[in-house]
Amino acid sequence: MKRFKHLRGFLRKHLWRYALGVLCLLAVDVLQLIIPRLLANVTDSLAYGQLTPAGLKRHVFLLLGLASAIAAGRFLWRIFINGAARKADFCLRNKLFAHLEKLPASYFNHHKTGDLMAHATNDIPAVRQAMGQGLMLFVDAIFMTAATLFALLRTVPLKLAAVSLLPFPFLAAGTALLSRLAGIRHRRVHEAFARLTDRAQENISGIRVVKSFAQERAEITRFVATARENVAENMGLTRVWGLMEPMATLASLVGFALVLGFGGAMIIRGEISLGDFVACTSYLAMLTWPMIAMGWVINVVQRGFAGLDRLNAILDEVPEVRDEPGAIDLPAALGDIEVRNLTFRYAPDLPPALDGVSFHLRPGEILAVVGRTGCGKSTLMGILTRQYNPPRGTVFIDGIDILDISLHSLRSHIGLAPQEAFLFSTSIAHNISFGDGTYGRDQIAAAAEMAQVKDDIEAFPDGFDTVVGERGVTLSGGQRQRVCIARALIRNPAILLLDDCLSAVDTQTEARILAQLREYMKGRTCVISSHRISAVKHADHIIVLDDGKLVEQGTHESLLAAGGLYADMYERQLLEEELESRA
Amino acid sequence: MSQQSEEIIGKAYDARLMRRLLAYARPYATGFALAFVLLMAVAGIELVRPYVIKLAIDDHLSGPPQWGVAMAPERVPDAVPARVQVTWNEQVLVAAHYLPDRFDTDQPGIDVIHVADHPDAQEAFRRQNAAQVGRLAMLLVAASAVAFGLNYGQNILLHHLGQNIVLTIRGDLFSHLQRMDLAFFDRNPVGRLVTRLTNDTENLSHMYSHVLVSLFKDVLMLVGIVVVMFRLNAELALVSMTTLPLIAVATVMFRTKARAAYRRVRTALARINAELNENITGMRIVQVFNREQHKYTEFEATNKEYYRAGVGEMMVYAVFRPLTEFVGTLALALLVWYGGLRVLGGRMPFGLVYAFINYVDMFFGPINALTEKYNTLQAAMASSERIFQLLDTPAKVEDAPDAVSLEKVEGRIEFKNVWFAYNGEDWVLRDVSFTIEPGETVAFVGATGAGKTSIISLINRFYDVQRGEILLDGVNVKRLRLEDLRRSIATVLQDVFLFTGDIRDNIRLGNEEISDERIAEVARLVNADYFIRRLPNGYDEPVTERGSTLSAGQRQLLAFARALAFDPAILVLDEATSNIDTETEMLIQDALPRLIAGRTTIVVAHRLSTVQHADKIIVLHKGKIREIGSHQELLAKRGFYYDLYRLQYEKKEAGVASGASGPRITSLG
Repeated sequence: MKRFKHLRGFLRKHLWRYALGVLCLLAVDVLQLIIPRLLANVTDSLAYGQLTPAGLKRHVFLLLGLASAIAAGRFLWRIFINGAARKADFCLRNKLFAHLEKLPASYFNHHKTGDLMAHATNDIPAVRQAMGQGLMLFVDAIFMTAATLFALLRTVPLKLAAVSLLPFPFLAAGTALLSRLAGIRHRRVHEAFARLTDRAQENISGIRVVKSFAQERAEITRFVATARENVAENMGLTRVWGLMEPMATLASLVGFALVLGFGGAMIIRGEISLGDFVACTSYLAMLTWPMIAMGWVINVVQRGFAGLDRLNAILDEVPEVRDEPGAIDLPAALGDIEVRNLTFRYAPDLPPALDGVSFHLRPGEILAVVGRTGCGKSTLMGILTRQYNPPRGTVFIDGIDILDISLHSLRSHIGLAPQEAFLFSTSIAHNISFGDGTYGRDQIAAAAEMAQVKDDIEAFPDGFDTVVGERGVTLSGGQRQRVCIARALIRNPAILLLDDCLSAVDTQTEARILAQLREYMKGRTCVISSHRISAVKHADHIIVLDDGKLVEQGTHESLLAAGGLYADMYERQLLEEELESRA
Repeated sequence: MSQQSEEIIGKAYDARLMRRLLAYARPYATGFALAFVLLMAVAGIELVRPYVIKLAIDDHLSGPPQWGVAMAPERVPDAVPARVQVTWNEQVLVAAHYLPDRFDTDQPGIDVIHVADHPDAQEAFRRQNAAQVGRLAMLLVAASAVAFGLNYGQNILLHHLGQNIVLTIRGDLFSHLQRMDLAFFDRNPVGRLVTRLTNDTENLSHMYSHVLVSLFKDVLMLVGIVVVMFRLNAELALVSMTTLPLIAVATVMFRTKARAAYRRVRTALARINAELNENITGMRIVQVFNREQHKYTEFEATNKEYYRAGVGEMMVYAVFRPLTEFVGTLALALLVWYGGLRVLGGRMPFGLVYAFINYVDMFFGPINALTEKYNTLQAAMASSERIFQLLDTPAKVEDAPDAVSLEKVEGRIEFKNVWFAYNGEDWVLRDVSFTIEPGETVAFVGATGAGKTSIISLINRFYDVQRGEILLDGVNVKRLRLEDLRRSIATVLQDVFLFTGDIRDNIRLGNEEISDERIAEVARLVNADYFIRRLPNGYDEPVTERGSTLSAGQRQLLAFARALAFDPAILVLDEATSNIDTETEMLIQDALPRLIAGRTTIVVAHRLSTVQHADKIIVLHKGKIREIGSHQELLAKRGFYYDLYRLQYEKKEAGVASGASGPRITSLG
């Protein structure tokens, strides 16, 4: 039952739907069982000439009444049971999303977006089917089998009933065997399909290599071979699964023949009535489908359980970064940042991404971090925003260990413009306010203006209402980055982090934008990283990272004078700029 | 994101698409014909059951007849079936109601008897009935066994056909994709193309195996039942069909509603997937900005719409399915009422009504089944539309109809006033001309975005140029067979792409002409042999997850081995040594002379050490050729190359801890 722990809340709240649904389903089943009896009555009275036209009319109306009740019942159980399954789908999806929101950056580094998506697109529907159709078929099949057997044994003479049921134990055994086999083969079909997907994915991702070595034909051969395997596995499943229905039909027909042979003789001998015979054949027909259904139930439930297990694996994931017990809120932050001998590794077996870094940034100071790609700049930003947990006692905000500050309050004091300018496919205004309704249009425009992107935005036909992404306009890299800066500025944070967030614009533009921001930065603690030195040379304090180590620090002037890595990088960049500016 | 194209939802049934889908079935016409025959047989047998019951009830289970007619065997009319004749007092006794109406019982030698008065006659009828019922039962068992075999056979056959058709479509689609140019792959996300190849074709497979099969069967059953009913009794048949208009109206309504509901569900699903995808991608931003609650609210709203759409779809089925079943029972009630009255009036045998009750039951089964397949059909139509759209996208770079083969490639490459842009007038190369002689080593140098990689793509003819021409051994590459052209060129890229398989497969790349010995030889030549032999399974070591278990250097060595295995006339090294450790670097430097001997070699490298030894260095800047010459010549010129060189040289001078990798031009721009 541990399997259902994430569904427990849902089940408690919606069990009544299932209860009512099952009740309706059972009512329908009972009413359906009355119909053969009713027909048997008509048959008997007709065959023995005991029926009057009035009696016939009564039976017909009874039949119609039953049919109406059955239709109503069927409508209701669909609403209740399938409705509950839909509700379960809704709840699970919300739950999955809410949980993903709690998982830290490292989780998303290790799990591909596509794989996480697959849980929502495949596993949740599998659970839904098991909780809807699967449950319905299960209840129905069990009850119909039991009730039909009961009715058969009660209304039909025992000897005839026993004879008619002769093939069914064989059928039940066959169904059980086949569904076990089918379960195995189903898995193999899935695996074959996954292989086909992988093969296609690999080919298309590596199409450049395929083409440059002219390996298209070999690739086609390989793909078709995999597709053939897929066919073979599918046929393997069909060979098992395809037996199910013919087998059920066979059992029912043989049962029928037995009833005809033995029952017929009994009628002739006057041991049973023709009505008994008709009822018996009707019940027999009703026994066939629960047997087929049982095979399906097993299949659907197996897949549902497998999907639920995979979902549970995500939902059970305990986020590495979370509020520690006793974490405190920082109602207002001064913006004092101290890093003490910080060494950080993404995984225990990886070399350190930051190695013994220390600095102290007082409120209102501007720190610049420079270094080559991969030197540890973004890692530092990731730790300051606590996307990753630093070791205890290494990072302090306003003198408090960052691990002891509640995530929400820490992040509410930080504005980050990230290296990768990620925007959502909503309007630009919505992207800047990030959906926070407390920001008015003028505040959004002001933030855009500070980020020097207002004119660009207003040049779009829909201005700030322009939708970003495939359904709207495609922003240039520089525009995206500046919208991201506006998104950070509008929050009026005590700590502003600009993580190489203007790489897509040219040097002059970057310098101009940062110069414009200097007024805004006053009174805020800022950490600016850039691969361009000219952009950050006015910072109060500059640290140079190389391979995770802090190799130099000081002011622009002092670092130039030192003639180290910083000075070298600066000179090279000047040269590059000069080269670049040539037509 | 494939959201938009996923939203293309056509009609559930589109004649044009259906014709194309059926065209794929044409090669299997014999198979389908056989399946059709099998289905007919199965349907026939299934239809026999109620008839057998009718025979049993009317002729054998309603007790001995009231009146019997006794006569000499030779006087029995032909119309009277043998199974209702019994021998009695050395005469043939026939139940009176089996004799034709015009049969004259007042002839001599023909006695009409009241059967109840003759126990021995009664007994004879009983024995005869029992024997006949037994015979019918045996017949039924035999028919069931045959039906079982045929049914299973038909199941397997139709799945086999469906699977093979989908195999063909998959193969066609994949082959088509292999012919597409790189610009096409730049435009289309990998995920979208994979979906076409896998999920969309899978939807078709469901249609061929589940829908087409049962569609056949259901329609056939319907026709069969109607024919049997009319042949049995036209009057009762008409009564049974009176509810058909109701079904027709309900079905039309259902189709409209179901289509709208399906569309709403698909749209909501596409939206929810797009949103989920976006949020997973941007999750860290959401978290850093404390917007979890807000994003959750947004997601919940989208999810709610999906839920509502799902409930809407469920409603359509919740109303329609019970409704058709109700109409089925209504037909049954009509039949009981009408038939009952006729039986009461003595104008109809009871067994006939009973058989009709069975047939009406069977009649509504296929109708319900047909609606159940509706969703599958809709999904298949939408998928086939997307598949055909892809198949109809023409490949832009293809063999010319009169393409020529190159017997022996010398390796002379010439660019003549080449202009090239990936889009529109955004020129990446402007008026580029140069010649590379066979066996020469030429290096391209320039900042990122100068156009180096584009030149290499063009030599491979991954794209066609807008102006000017590119010649290989004096022949325009557009006139060469693509396969010949590309076979003569081997490229080693910075990011080595490894395929699932083993080490050997990754060197051979599916080219079976390359022997195992040759693979070992080239591995030795490029100094990859040493690390490969130290792998647990040597050359058979499986490569998993795109080779993530191998180091960057090892992957690069494999790429060199791969290039050498194909023994190309032209070797292209596209930033091939810019991302590896010193040790591998040394191994490659050692192997390089062996690699480039006797080949035209094109190097795009960021290390001047490699570039320095080139016969010719071509300096590109912003899509134009600025300088051409040898290292010494270019240095003497004090132009672009000189500056580039100074950039690295001075850095070296400064003695900066730049790691083991040495100076690079990569950092330019």
